[in-house]
Amino acid sequence: MEKRELLQKLAGIQTIESVMDILKVDKRMAIYYIHSLRRDGYVKTRRQSNNRRVYNISLDNKLGGKSYYDIINFYSPIKISTPIIHKIYGREPSLEETLIFAIKTKSLRTILASLALFKKINNWVELYNLAKENHIERQVGALYDLARLVMKVRRMTNKYRNNALPNKEYQFDFLVPELRSKDFNEIENIWRIYLPFNKKDLEEYK
Amino acid sequence: MITIDQQQKLLLNVARRLTKKINVYAIGGTAMMFLGFKDATLDIDLVFENKKDRDIFKEAVKSLGYLEMDAIKVYGVKRNTPEMFKLNDERFDLFVVEVIDFIFSDTMRQRAEQIHQFGDNLILKIANSHDIILMKCATDRIKDKDDARKIINSIKINWDVIITEAKKQMELGKERAAFDLGCFLEDLKTKMNIDIPQEVLDKLFLIVEKQAKDKISK
Repeated sequence: MEKRELLQKLAGIQTIESVMDILKVDKRMAIYYIHSLRRDGYVKTRRQSNNRRVYNISLDNKLGGKSYYDIINFYSPIKISTPIIHKIYGREPSLEETLIFAIKTKSLRTILASLALFKKINNWVELYNLAKENHIERQVGALYDLARLVMKVRRMTNKYRNNALPNKEYQFDFLVPELRSKDFNEIENIWRIYLPFNKKDLEEYK
Repeated sequence: MITIDQQQKLLLNVARRLTKKINVYAIGGTAMMFLGFKDATLDIDLVFENKKDRDIFKEAVKSLGYLEMDAIKVYGVKRNTPEMFKLNDERFDLFVVEVIDFIFSDTMRQRAEQIHQFGDNLILKIANSHDIILMKCATDRIKDKDDARKIINSIKINWDVIITEAKKQMELGKERAAFDLGCFLEDLKTKMNIDIPQEVLDKLFLIVEKQAKDKISK
């Protein structure tokens, strides 16, 4: 069987039984096929609590690199699937960069999951510079204030807050286009940003 | 031949030598490797958005010891051939927007969804499988037909995307696009026994027929 065909059939999370079932082969051949995929770097193995092996088979395993979604999923209790492939090689993306990426996706669930990054973010200078570059200083500020309501976060520097706070003439902006709620008006008015989350959305953080 | 691991190391090395952040699109074998159609490729085909970016990339590649080579040896006498750089078995083919008789259009750029960032400066976007087939038609070297066969046999092709893109190419001034694509797909169907719906070929040649009539009436 060609490697590509094998990979296509087995892509995803598998056990030895599911491999036997998909390929209609006996245990010996199933082990051989997994072994050949592992040799090429397509397989990552985990063990369940009962010591059974679970195989994560994917082209991504071979490509390596790190994606922003991997980082969000590592730190956040809200796990998200990867809607687009964006891999970074040769350096570790910072948490500040990851937060900016999440805001730029304008995806409700990605932004919600990325709130957890505020627990670890401590380089406010880098965050401010990146936010300014992308014109989203206010969005970051509003999300920080929101995160502070539901989790313990590192303190935002006064310099960031003073530099990013808008004037009263500023127009309101959306985090997720056309999406707003009624639950966090105070934060919205401070940062002049419409927050798309309800109180219930944040329950997973409590 | 260059494998995925070697290619990643090479692109990282290039990225470290770039003086500015550049966006580049991978077509051909490189894109096929990132999409899992191939394990190794002969050349790294890249399309740049402008000449300035290609010049910056060229300098980085040269500093790694790559030497310029003549495109005629590989592509023959064609328009919009790439600038080529070679070191041992590895080769870079560097295009700017136009790939022989096709343009790497805005719609192609939008379809390139996978992003692979090397270091800080090299952002590599991977062309969509449908567009790789079109680019294979543009370059039309011996191995290109085999690569197109691999793609068509591996995934479900939305032929409407390919036909629409051929029309778009004609709007952009590439008059031969539908004809070249029709011939390329017909060759794949007749010589390599690839399952390409006759309806697709009919549609393409209808476009060519209409184009010829319009020209005559003018």
